[in-house]
Amino acid sequence: MVVCNFFLQGRCRYGERCWNEHPRGGGRGGGGGGGQQHSRGEGGFGNRVWVNPSQQKGGSYIQPSYFPSQGRNSWGGGGGGGGSGDGGGRRDNVKSSDFSFSTQNRFASLDASKSFADRGGRGGTAAEDDDSKKLEMIQMDMDVWESSGQWGFSCYSIAKLPLSGFPDLSPEELRLEYYSKSASGDLQTYMNGVNQLLSQWKSRIQELKSMNPNTRAALLAELNGAGPQGSSGGFGGPPEFGSVTSGFGSKDFGSPAPAQTGSFGFPEKRPEFGFTSAPVFGAPFGSSTPQTPSGFGAPAQPSASTFSFASSSTNKPAGSSGFGSASGFSFSSAGSSTGGFGNAGAAAAPAFPQTSGGFGATPGSEAQSGSLFSSESQLTPEELDQFKAKRFTLGQIPLKPPPENLLVLR
Amino acid sequence: MSLFGTASSFGTGGTGVFGTTTTDSHNPMKDVEVTSPPDDSISCLAFSPPTMPGNFLIAGSWANDVRCWEVQDNGQTVPKAQQMHTGPVLDVCWSDDGSKVFTASCDKTAKMWDLNSNQAMQIAQHDGPIKAIHWIKAPNYSCVMTGSWDKTLKFWDTRSPTPMMSLQMPERCYCADVVYPMAVVATAERGLIVYQLENQPSEFRRIDSPLKHQHRCVAIFKDKQNKPTGFALGSIEGRVAIHYINPPNPAKDNFTFKCHRSNGTNTTTPQDIYAVNAIAFHPVHGTLATVGSDGRFSFWDKDARTKLKTSEQLDQPITACCFNHNGNIFAYASSYDWSKGHEYYNPQKKNYIFLRNAAEELKPRNKK
Repeated sequence: MVVCNFFLQGRCRYGERCWNEHPRGGGRGGGGGGGQQHSRGEGGFGNRVWVNPSQQKGGSYIQPSYFPSQGRNSWGGGGGGGGSGDGGGRRDNVKSSDFSFSTQNRFASLDASKSFADRGGRGGTAAEDDDSKKLEMIQMDMDVWESSGQWGFSCYSIAKLPLSGFPDLSPEELRLEYYSKSASGDLQTYMNGVNQLLSQWKSRIQELKSMNPNTRAALLAELNGAGPQGSSGGFGGPPEFGSVTSGFGSKDFGSPAPAQTGSFGFPEKRPEFGFTSAPVFGAPFGSSTPQTPSGFGAPAQPSASTFSFASSSTNKPAGSSGFGSASGFSFSSAGSSTGGFGNAGAAAAPAFPQTSGGFGATPGSEAQSGSLFSSESQLTPEELDQFKAKRFTLGQIPLKPPPENLLVLR
Repeated sequence: MSLFGTASSFGTGGTGVFGTTTTDSHNPMKDVEVTSPPDDSISCLAFSPPTMPGNFLIAGSWANDVRCWEVQDNGQTVPKAQQMHTGPVLDVCWSDDGSKVFTASCDKTAKMWDLNSNQAMQIAQHDGPIKAIHWIKAPNYSCVMTGSWDKTLKFWDTRSPTPMMSLQMPERCYCADVVYPMAVVATAERGLIVYQLENQPSEFRRIDSPLKHQHRCVAIFKDKQNKPTGFALGSIEGRVAIHYINPPNPAKDNFTFKCHRSNGTNTTTPQDIYAVNAIAFHPVHGTLATVGSDGRFSFWDKDARTKLKTSEQLDQPITACCFNHNGNIFAYASSYDWSKGHEYYNPQKKNYIFLRNAAEELKPRNKK
C-alpha cells in the first residue's frame, strides 16, 4: 500500500479510515467500531473551512480541510468524514480560525480507533488498550481542566456514569450560599467551605493526573465494573454507589470509608455515606480526598484563593474534620431543614443534615465516641463480612466504621 | 487569586479602568443599553410572546427583583414595572397570551405577575430554590412547570396551591426548556431527561449526556415543520452539544462543538475555557446564539455546522440572552456569573442589558 504522506507528517485526517498505509509496525486492521454512547464530537465548528495557515506551507498539497494534528488526533477521521461532504466548499473563510478549535478532541479515544492516541504499552488485549486510553484521556482532561480556569465544581465523566470525586455544584448554588451567609453575617463559614471544596477538587485532580496504581485500579473498577454496584439505568441512587465504591482512589473500601462513617455516625436511609452527589457540600468531598483518612484533615491549606468556608472549630478526628467544616458550611445555619442548599430541607438525602448535625452542632451523635474505627466486637457478623468483602453490597453497607485491622493502607 | 486557575482579570475593570474612557469595554459591540438595569446580576431574560403587540422585556436578577421594560421600535427602552421576591430570581417566563409573567426564585416560591393589574401572587412552592419555570400550553390543559434544586419537577395550575403533578428527578434541576409537546430538563450529575407533554406530562426518555461536564443551559430547537426535534445543551466546559431526539443517523446527526474558549489557533498555551451560560434559538431562522462567561456572544448555524459571528469581549460575563418573538432583537445581559468565585464579585459594578438588531446576523449560512 502506498504510504500516507500526511500520516508521516502527523496530520492525516482520515486516521484509521485512510486508504493509504500508516506505517506503525504492522497496520491495525480496521478501526474497532464506534459503539460508544457519546455522540461524536466534531472537534471544531465548521472545521471544514478552517485551514491552519502555519501548517499550510509545509504540505505539498492539502487534504481538503485538515487540521493540525498533534500526531495523535485520530479524530481526523471523524472530521474528515464530516468535512469531506463539502470539502470543496467554502475554504476561504479565514475568520473562522479565530474560533477555538483545539486539536485535542476529548472524544478521540472513545472512538476506539486505536491509532495515534495509543502510545507505547500496546501489549495485550483490546480491552486493556481501551482502558489505558481511557485513563490517558482522563489524565489529559484533568490537565486541561486545571489549566483552563474553567469551573471546577463540576462532575466529570467519560462514560455513562460520572467519575467519583467530583461533586456537581453550580455557580448559582455557590452564589446563593454566599448571599445567605453574608446576610446572616457568617461569611467565614462560606469561605471555609469553599476553600475546602477547592482543595478537595485540586487533590482529586492531582490524583487523577498522577494516576498511581491505586487510583488506576479504582478508576478501572469504576469504569468497567460499576455495573453491579452502581448500575446505570438512571441517575439517582446508583451513581452514588459508584462514588462510594471507588471514590477513594484506593481499592480498599476500608480506608477512607470508615473514616466517613465514623464521622457520620448514621447516614441513615441510604448507605451513601452522604456521598450523594446531592447538593450537600461536604459530602462529595469526602470521597474526593486521597487514600488516607488524614487526607481529610490535610486539605485545609487554603492554597490559592481566600476562599475559606466552614467553622473549622470542629477538630474531631482527622477523618471527620473535613466533613466537619464542609457540613458546617452548609448547615451552620439552623441545622437540618434550611440547608443552604435547599436540599437539606428536602426529604431525600437527609444524610447530611443529620450528620452535620453530628459534626458541627450536636455532640453525641458523633459516631461511636468519635473514634474512627470500631473494634471487631462492636460489629455484627454481617458487617464484618461486608468489610472483609472486596466491595460493599448494596443495601448492606455497614453504618459503623470498620475495624482498624481490616484497613489496608498502601 | 482566582478560584480556578489564573483567570483573566474579570470584574476588576479590565485594562484601563480609570482615565481611559476611549475603549470602554463594557459595550464593545455598541449595542443599545437598556435603561435602569437591575442592581445585581441578571439571571434571566424573556421577551413577550407574539400575542401581545409591541416588545416587552422581563429580567430577573440577584437583587430579588423582576423588572419589565417596554422596548420601542426606535430602540428606546422604557421601564414599566417591577416586582420583588424575597430571594434572588432565577428564571422568568411569559404566559402564552402575554398577560402574565411567572417568576421563580431562590425563596422556593414562584409567583404569577399579572401585568395589567401589577399584582403578583404566589402560585408554587418547592422545598428548594426554583431554578426553571416554563409555561405549558397544551390543547387540553395549561400549567406552569417548575424545576427546582429539591430534585422535583412540579406542574401547577395557577389556581391551586397543590401541584397538579410532581415528578421526581434524579438530581437537582439545572436548566430546562419547553416547546410543546416536548420538554427537556438537564440536571446535576449530567442528568438529561426528556418529557412529553401531550395529554399529561410524563417522562419520555433519559438520555446519556453527550457532554463530560456539568450541564448549564439547554434550549430546544424545531425542525422545518415547526415541531420540536432536538435540543442544544451547553456545559461549563465551553462546549455545546446538539442532540436530536430521533435522528435518522445519530452518530452523524448529533455532534458537539467547542465555543467560548480563548486561544483559538494557538495550541501551545493552555486554553481558557469558559462556561456557556445560555443558549437561545432564533425563532425564525433556527440559528442559535450562545453566551458565555468569557463575555462574548456567538451566533451559530447548526445545520451548516458553522459559526456565524463572535462578538468582541465584554468586560463582564454574559449571563443571559433571548430573542424577541420575531427574531429582530437579541437581548443579552452583561453581569457577573460567579464563575470565578466571590473574589471577583463587585457589587458596585454596573450590570447591563444590551439589545442588538438580530435580523441580519443570524441568517443561516447557505450551504453550497
